[in-house]
Amino acid sequence: MRTSTRTVTPGTASSPENAPAKTIEIDMARCGDQPLGAACVAARKRGSATTNVSLSSSLTMRMLLCVTALLTVFIVPAQAADISVEQYGYPLSNPFEATIATTPVDLRPAVPADEDIDQADYRLRLRPEREFILPENFWAVTRLTYRLAKQPGPAPLVFIISGTGASYSAGKTEWLKRLFYGAGYHVVQLSSPTSFDFIAAASRYATPGYSPGDAKDLYRVMQAVRAQQHDLPVTSFNLIGYSLGALDAAFVSKLDETRQSFNFRRVLMVNPPVNLYTSIGNLDKLVQTEVEAIDSTTTFYEVIFEKLARYYRQKGTINLDEAMLLDFQQSALRLTDEQMAMLIGSVFRLSAADIAFTSDLINRRGLIVPPKYPIDEGTSLEPFFRRALLCDFDCYITEQLIPMWRAQQDGGSMAQLVQQVSLYALEDYLRTSPKIGVMHNADDIILGAGDLGFLRRTFGDRMTLYPRGGHCGNINYRVNAHDILEFFRG
Amino acid sequence: MARRLLLPLLLLASSMANAQTSVPDEDGFTHPLRRLEFNPGLDQHEFERASFAALDIYDPWESLNRRMYYFNYRLDQWVMLPAVRGYKYVTPKFVRTGVSNFFSNLGEIPTLFNSLAQLKGERAMNTTARLLFNTILGVGGLWDPASRMGLPHYKEDFGQTLGFYGVPHGPYLVLPALGPSNLRDATGQVADFGVERQVDYFSYAEASGGEFGLTALRLVDLRYTTPLRYGQLNSPFEYEKVRYVYTRARELQIEE
Repeated sequence: MRTSTRTVTPGTASSPENAPAKTIEIDMARCGDQPLGAACVAARKRGSATTNVSLSSSLTMRMLLCVTALLTVFIVPAQAADISVEQYGYPLSNPFEATIATTPVDLRPAVPADEDIDQADYRLRLRPEREFILPENFWAVTRLTYRLAKQPGPAPLVFIISGTGASYSAGKTEWLKRLFYGAGYHVVQLSSPTSFDFIAAASRYATPGYSPGDAKDLYRVMQAVRAQQHDLPVTSFNLIGYSLGALDAAFVSKLDETRQSFNFRRVLMVNPPVNLYTSIGNLDKLVQTEVEAIDSTTTFYEVIFEKLARYYRQKGTINLDEAMLLDFQQSALRLTDEQMAMLIGSVFRLSAADIAFTSDLINRRGLIVPPKYPIDEGTSLEPFFRRALLCDFDCYITEQLIPMWRAQQDGGSMAQLVQQVSLYALEDYLRTSPKIGVMHNADDIILGAGDLGFLRRTFGDRMTLYPRGGHCGNINYRVNAHDILEFFRG
Repeated sequence: MARRLLLPLLLLASSMANAQTSVPDEDGFTHPLRRLEFNPGLDQHEFERASFAALDIYDPWESLNRRMYYFNYRLDQWVMLPAVRGYKYVTPKFVRTGVSNFFSNLGEIPTLFNSLAQLKGERAMNTTARLLFNTILGVGGLWDPASRMGLPHYKEDFGQTLGFYGVPHGPYLVLPALGPSNLRDATGQVADFGVERQVDYFSYAEASGGEFGLTALRLVDLRYTTPLRYGQLNSPFEYEKVRYVYTRARELQIEE
């Protein structure tokens, strides 16, 4: 019945200073968030207006959708809250565009500016032996950094777990911090167990991907954070994760049921993979799309740069604003779906290379770095980078994760591993835990057939399904922001 | 700075064009990957090829550059960032904005000079107008009324001018404290510095030559306005990635 009552909140216009344009990078390219924020502000100063493309659907289409929505309510047994495109109002209908660009700036809710947040980075010394295992040029990641935003008085605390390869300062994590801080929470931002810093400084076996093991590592980090911040007046603990971090959140919550350090009040999973193997298969496959205009003299990256340069030459100036993006994708130079998929796939492949290299280096497996190879601050890592670039997620799992899992857990087949690391392993727990909720998108690129069905059966009315958004592209949309906060308020 | 230019690359794919509406299955899933055309054998190596090509940047002094990179990393963590934190602690926001505007206004001089050198007349006029409005109406550049009047801020440096006339970038170079550069751009920086001192607008150069404080403030402001953080890419291959992005971003700036 929730479907019929759910309405799209008329958005409050986001103030320019507060609206972080950061989310683009983010998780995707993991480059700095700040520059994007700055560019956004600059863009707005120039007086650009984001065009909210109206959903050009006819009246009949509208009626049809209403009827469908009603049917969903009265006939389909699954009680997940489905939201129609009409109600939802999210303008990006292309899942690849949504994944890369996320929400247009003026459709984001107002959140506190960075300067208005009392926040600092802290470091944890969790694995002192890594100072001896890691070569000297990795001194920066022998301790794990996290970011804490403090409220002035007692408040509930929320832990945020970042997505694949993303650090605590990734754009989406930063975005969630602002959202929760504005709503009165203390916020702790954590790197993903698959990120470079976490593998090096906090991961016991430095071979991420085995979800129960990753959850134990995360749990130790959270306990260490709590110990380091023992003065912080916390009224309750909460947990949120997006992308792979959402899967981690579920496993952490399960672990907390027995260890009881936090007794999480609410746990929210945003765009989790359901079957981890399906998701990494999808991501690995994205770099296999047919991309045109490539020959022996030019590469995919060059094609993208060339398009940008040509666009700039036509315009005569670099004007980074939403109008420019709209304009670019409507020009003859626009990227095809295949090119966007390739771009997304490339970002994930770069993450896979980082994971494969770091895990191999720390465990001295000799697959990428010869075990006794001398490395100091002047050593070129380029040959290893090249070798790591050849390894996709599937290669990492086959060459590093499975052998370790077999040796340690007496593991068996790939199917068995997939069962243990995916949400299937937690099905009963998730079904019977009212404190856990999930939000997902109908067009998320990391899902496969049947995944949403599994979530519907398992979560029932604790699931919200949005019709659009790609992979986490709508996490900063005002409707999602409202729903996220509502979930934690309830 | 280079990071700023990474933005377009990541942003450019955004738009709201041609939605091919996919029909959801019984779970409501729209199978987004089905709308893509895949290479039939799934054996394309374009990602690898493109990434390998991106690593081919002339870097004969790599070992030295890497050491300098780590030196800068430490300098940043232990000196520059604490200085910026102190600066933020002791000054209100409008003062910091004023300081940034002031130094940015000074930076218009090399931009003007280089726009002229590249025969970009319109840009030179725009920069002259900015310089005049901001200096006179903006009280010596503390405010930036020109941007509000619709005159965009451009940045042209002598490295770009050299590039404009076809000078290759030369070996990649990591400069102490200043970070990624190359032989051409480092030469350009020296030239721009010379221009600023020659013009000696406001007797700033003279004052700062005498007063260590002004130069220090300029450095702190530079760090304050540069959003890049070491370790931000969170990758063991940050050096290589920064090198590529810097080099490509400069090429784009030159072409612009």
